[in-house]
Amino acid sequence: MENTDTFLMKGNEAVAHAAIRCGCDGFFGYPITPQSEILETLSALRPWETTGMVVLQAESEIAAINMLYGGGGSGKRVMTSSSSPGVALMQEGISYMTACEIPAVIINVQRGGPGLGTIQPGQSDYLQATIGGGNGDYNMIVLAPASVQDMADFVDQAFQLAFRYRNPVMILSDGVIGQMMEKVTLPPMKPRRTEEEIWEECPWATNGHNLSRRKPNVLSSLEMEAIEMERRNQALQEKYRTIVQKEQRSATYLCDDAEYLFVAYGSVARCAEESVNILREKGIRAGLFRPITLWPYPADALCQFIPQVHLLLACEMNAGQMVNDIRLAINCQRPVFHYGRMGGVVPGPQEMADAMLQLINNP
Amino acid sequence: MTKEDLIRPENIVKAKPSLMNDTAMHYCPGCSHGVVHRLVAEIIEEMGVSERTIGICPVGCAVFAYRYLDIDWQEAAHGRAPAVATACKRLWNDRLVFTYQGDGDLACIGACETIHALNRGEKITIIFINNAIYGMTGGQMAPTTLLGMKTSTCPYGRQPDLHGYPLNITDLAASLEGTAYVTRQSVHNVAAVLKAKKAIRHAFENSMNGIGSNLVEIVSTCSTGWKTSPVEANKWMEENMFKYYHIGDLKDITKP
Repeated sequence: MENTDTFLMKGNEAVAHAAIRCGCDGFFGYPITPQSEILETLSALRPWETTGMVVLQAESEIAAINMLYGGGGSGKRVMTSSSSPGVALMQEGISYMTACEIPAVIINVQRGGPGLGTIQPGQSDYLQATIGGGNGDYNMIVLAPASVQDMADFVDQAFQLAFRYRNPVMILSDGVIGQMMEKVTLPPMKPRRTEEEIWEECPWATNGHNLSRRKPNVLSSLEMEAIEMERRNQALQEKYRTIVQKEQRSATYLCDDAEYLFVAYGSVARCAEESVNILREKGIRAGLFRPITLWPYPADALCQFIPQVHLLLACEMNAGQMVNDIRLAINCQRPVFHYGRMGGVVPGPQEMADAMLQLINNP
Repeated sequence: MTKEDLIRPENIVKAKPSLMNDTAMHYCPGCSHGVVHRLVAEIIEEMGVSERTIGICPVGCAVFAYRYLDIDWQEAAHGRAPAVATACKRLWNDRLVFTYQGDGDLACIGACETIHALNRGEKITIIFINNAIYGMTGGQMAPTTLLGMKTSTCPYGRQPDLHGYPLNITDLAASLEGTAYVTRQSVHNVAAVLKAKKAIRHAFENSMNGIGSNLVEIVSTCSTGWKTSPVEANKWMEENMFKYYHIGDLKDITKP
């Protein structure tokens, strides 16, 4: 039977469709290449006439992230998308949202940096996303999609995580995943929550509902008493520890007997599968470990392979931003190397296979 | 006769609005914030919309507004209140959504968000307390600081060649197609307080009726920042501020 929910589309378009289908209440965005199709697709689909979802082009990324602060703070499912320079502008808002424990979904279709950089793909916002580009001690859950299907599936997953932990969640994509077209099966339609359902899920939300029968809800990150501010920080850290314990996610490709492990995420993970194939044809036991959550880093799953592995090669479109996470995850029990391309260059399967071969032959 | 004997319903001429709690305010003596807070509380109560109200606090002296009015509040990052309010109103279109901002927050760091929210015609009300100075951080120059006025960052007086000109953002707002009601009021005497209340009520009703956007500027004093007494501050405001920031309605599309 023909599946009417299966399409050929770009990753960015899949995000837009998935947002409507998973009951998103509002999208607030600002144009920037290579992610503008998300706002364009939503604008063309006019969900405000069907599900009632709000779509608004903000005056800047700064405004967009603060619209998420307002919308998420009032209990609604809200999201934004941008690309690297725009996400840099959002860091203040993200810090505020983590401080006030406001759920929201932020999509970063990364391009090469620094500065205005390039409109070509990049992964150089890894550290900004995983250890925080804004002020203060905070963490964001970071999901790294490696296919158009992931782009569609991660939207709802991100909303689930955001509301479960009252924390912003970032889908850290890249220009390849955003722009390439693949077959994708879109999630089934899910209605937006009613006011009563929002009240049940978010009794902390600032929307006035039931005010006469409760204390006012206030979302503020300001606290003048240092001891109280420390207590709030401790509560946040406790929450982050729970997330680290419960939400590590990863995938593997031919890792069961692997002695030489590629570690890659996003579009580079897709290329690295082919690098594994190239090495396997030469009789080399290569495998790919793909973190799906970049924070929390899937350390537990990675450590399982350490007894059999001789070395690990991190492949990224950056200067080595994930390397320290790998070293920490495996407690430096094996050598960790890096192969990276920067400035918008996407590494091909052969060059990554060659990089691994060189390490194997010249340890 | 005890205090309790006196406080009986038949003796009460004017009571504290039920939405105002007993938390001691951090505002300085003579500050306009307390009066405007009270007006906001009275109007929300009179309109009967407390269960449908979302207030957005600024960064600045009014950052703690949420301590005094028992409604749902969000405390926005510096200058971003209009963006926060935009989303709240778009997502909850039956709500009264208002921001409460000072001149540093609204006219300087948040000028972009202010202009664009107003120009989009967001169905919100912006209450704009303009005392021509940064109060919370200790009396620095604001975009609204008058020429010649002394602050801690223009200690010899504001000079156009060094500091540029005062920004009359409310006049600018009135020129935007998205604004419905733009007014400038004050709260320095009883008559002014009554007019200001009428203005805020009109703006709130517009917001609830889907007419936007609405900006109510309250030209205010900051006796601490101005380094003068509350009485002198009011006098100085009348003699100097009102010359540059003219009191009255600038625009009202609901009037024929």
